[in-house]
Amino acid sequence: MNVLRLLVVGTLLHIKQISRSPFEIAITLIVPIVQATLAVYLFRAGGEQHRLLEAAVGAGVMGVWSSVLFGSGGAIQGQRWMGTLEMIMLAPRRPVLVILPITIATGLTGIYALLATLVWGRFLYGIRLDFAHPAAFVVASVVCVIALGMFGLLLAATFVLMRNANALANTLEYPVWLVSGMLVPITVLPSWTGPIAAILPTTWGARALREATSGGPVWPSVGICLGISLLCLALGGLALTHVERRARAAATLALA
Amino acid sequence: MKTLRLMTVGGVIAYRALFNWTTPGMFVGTLLVGPLFQLLFFAYLGRQLQVADDRFYIVGNAVLTASLACVFGGTMAVANERRFGTLGHVLLSPRSRTAIFWGRVLPYAGNGLLIAVVTLSVGAALLGLRIPLDAVPGLFLAMAAGSLACGFFGLTLGALGLRFRDVWVVSNVSVALLLLLTGVNVPAGNLPGWMVTVGHYLPITHAAEAARRLAAGDGLAAAAPALGQELLVGAGYAVAAVVLLKIFEVESRRRASLDAL
Repeated sequence: MNVLRLLVVGTLLHIKQISRSPFEIAITLIVPIVQATLAVYLFRAGGEQHRLLEAAVGAGVMGVWSSVLFGSGGAIQGQRWMGTLEMIMLAPRRPVLVILPITIATGLTGIYALLATLVWGRFLYGIRLDFAHPAAFVVASVVCVIALGMFGLLLAATFVLMRNANALANTLEYPVWLVSGMLVPITVLPSWTGPIAAILPTTWGARALREATSGGPVWPSVGICLGISLLCLALGGLALTHVERRARAAATLALA
Repeated sequence: MKTLRLMTVGGVIAYRALFNWTTPGMFVGTLLVGPLFQLLFFAYLGRQLQVADDRFYIVGNAVLTASLACVFGGTMAVANERRFGTLGHVLLSPRSRTAIFWGRVLPYAGNGLLIAVVTLSVGAALLGLRIPLDAVPGLFLAMAAGSLACGFFGLTLGALGLRFRDVWVVSNVSVALLLLLTGVNVPAGNLPGWMVTVGHYLPITHAAEAARRLAAGDGLAAAAPALGQELLVGAGYAVAAVVLLKIFEVESRRRASLDAL
């Protein structure tokens, strides 16, 4: 129960913190809407009017990924710059329990992108929100966001070991959008991308949301997404413990 | 000659000091690999939706990739001076502000051109697009015009950094809007009229059009009007940047807010 409380309170704290940043608000507010507009016009131009809802959902998931990638990727570095990393690492809890709320908060902030693209599509382009499985869509959205938060933990732990983590974050945005089939179906990509797509939780999260939107077996995708993300959580937890011990031993915790 | 030296040497020094992405890892990851995947993303999306052919997406997106270095570079050229507390020293210089700041655009435009050339070459090789050999000089010209216009556009956004606290919001949103409004990814005929009109006043729109004509083998004469329009747009932003920098400088001095972050 204490662990759950720590996660919930920590997540709320970090959501509040992110929501006070004019930069985060503006970027989360505007960029996904621009991407959704682009997707709507592209799908219309391609004569795929019946897939506009799918396009809006896809653009929304792209926004969630961007939020997790840049938010979680820089989670530890951000704490370092604010001078709060030592304090949270001093907490008598495992590192994974104090960093996980940050990465889940970035995923939850990113869910705004999903909501914004749907509202934008509904009111500006008259896209009817006729989900094939409305209840499953809600569940899949929540699972997708939490799963990406867990994936974000692995990113946070990995990125902290790299000097040029920002470069990797900047590089990974489009490849994951592409390979995960968020807007482009995986079937049109070269076959060698298949195995990469299969191990990414983003692929299964996007697939679950697409199936909930346009029909298909939602729950297997939700299950696989959650399973891969739990694996990411375990790996991220191990990596974080390793990073923390190494940083304490070398006295480099606060050094960028 | 002295002005030319100020523009080139000053520009290069400012580029090395203020551009955040000059380390090899950052340069390759952010400016070469990222844009290439952007091209692939839209090329595959275009293939799947059958909106336009590969040439449309490869050439258009290759020209657009220059915007990343140019828009963010132009912003960094002014905003990072303020961040590092050196803006006052620059403005104390007895030399022409216009020469100082226009000179800063040149390395970013060169950087943008390099990115566009690499993206076009690799993108065309990966997706199997054949470009006529005699179109290469013209394509280089179109990408250079687009990069230069984008650099001045970035400088205009950077000038806003003297007035607004968080100019990075403006840069990020601008880069996203260029994807939509320049007609690089959605053919102009499929966009609403007002978006097309706005696009005409943005960098890249005309350069991408010229580059597509050249890649289609239409020749330099056919691409010349679009190239001229791109240069005109760039000149407009060059003047706008200098005017805004002057206005905001005067205002910052009056309000004693030059270095206030």
